[in-house]
Amino acid sequence: MIKVPTWVRETFENYLVCEFTTVKSGKPVTMPLLPFYLPDSGKFVVTSSILFSKKAENVKKNPKVSLLFSNPEGSKAGKHAVLVQGIAHADDTDLDHGWEKYLSFWRKKEPYIDAYLAEREKFGWFWKRVVLQVEPKKIIAWKNGDTSRPPEEFGA
Amino acid sequence: MTGLDYQRLGNFRYAVITLIGDDGFPFSVSTDFKILPDKKIVLQKPALPTKLDGKRVNVLFNHITGLPGGGYGERRYMLVWGTTHEEHGTLRFEPKSLSEWDEKILPFDQYCAKSAPQGAKYLGTLQASVEA
Repeated sequence: MIKVPTWVRETFENYLVCEFTTVKSGKPVTMPLLPFYLPDSGKFVVTSSILFSKKAENVKKNPKVSLLFSNPEGSKAGKHAVLVQGIAHADDTDLDHGWEKYLSFWRKKEPYIDAYLAEREKFGWFWKRVVLQVEPKKIIAWKNGDTSRPPEEFGA
Repeated sequence: MTGLDYQRLGNFRYAVITLIGDDGFPFSVSTDFKILPDKKIVLQKPALPTKLDGKRVNVLFNHITGLPGGGYGERRYMLVWGTTHEEHGTLRFEPKSLSEWDEKILPFDQYCAKSAPQGAKYLGTLQASVEA
């Protein structure tokens, strides 16, 4: 587990979205996603509906991914930029329920998620979800978000 | 390139540049940008990566609006692939192709419906691997 300072951990816990990148045929593919930080292990989880599952397909072919936390909108955290590079594992063994163990994390970031869950039948395939778990290998952080300055590195 | 709406692009607050590093990992960095009157996209050069001249990258422009009760709305993004060129201490971004979504233009339920073929493809691949 890579040790990081408090401001980095608060960024992981509070930012609502990250910019998640997979690699397809040597090219980056970056999408905004809702990330969950697991403080006990230092790992990250994103979940992906099968409707938007190209990222999971990419991970199966190339597990190298990154998550950038750069947007504090909607959070009470300060403005920073933190890049996590890691190895992802796609788990699609239980599309209907495998992701539900992360609902408490999801609910904290999107309190209205239960209203969507109540209409689960209406959005059936949206709730068939692949779990992508990311083990960080390196964390690169720009305090105050000024990327014109050299960053701090952790776990290199 | 055609299909890039520079007016909507100009409404985003910042950009995220991503390229694949020599170690094979994606490297993303946020930076400011501006669009010149001749539609040139100019990115502020970040400290890292140090070499961005002639690099194939994607640039993500993303927006959300935080909601008072928590969560977010007004989701929209433009993901543009292209090449960066170092010029006068900045980066000129030459766009080549685009992927985008704006929930005001394509509501989420319609976006899901449009994406059904990808869902079917994924399920089909899983089924094939189970049967193999």
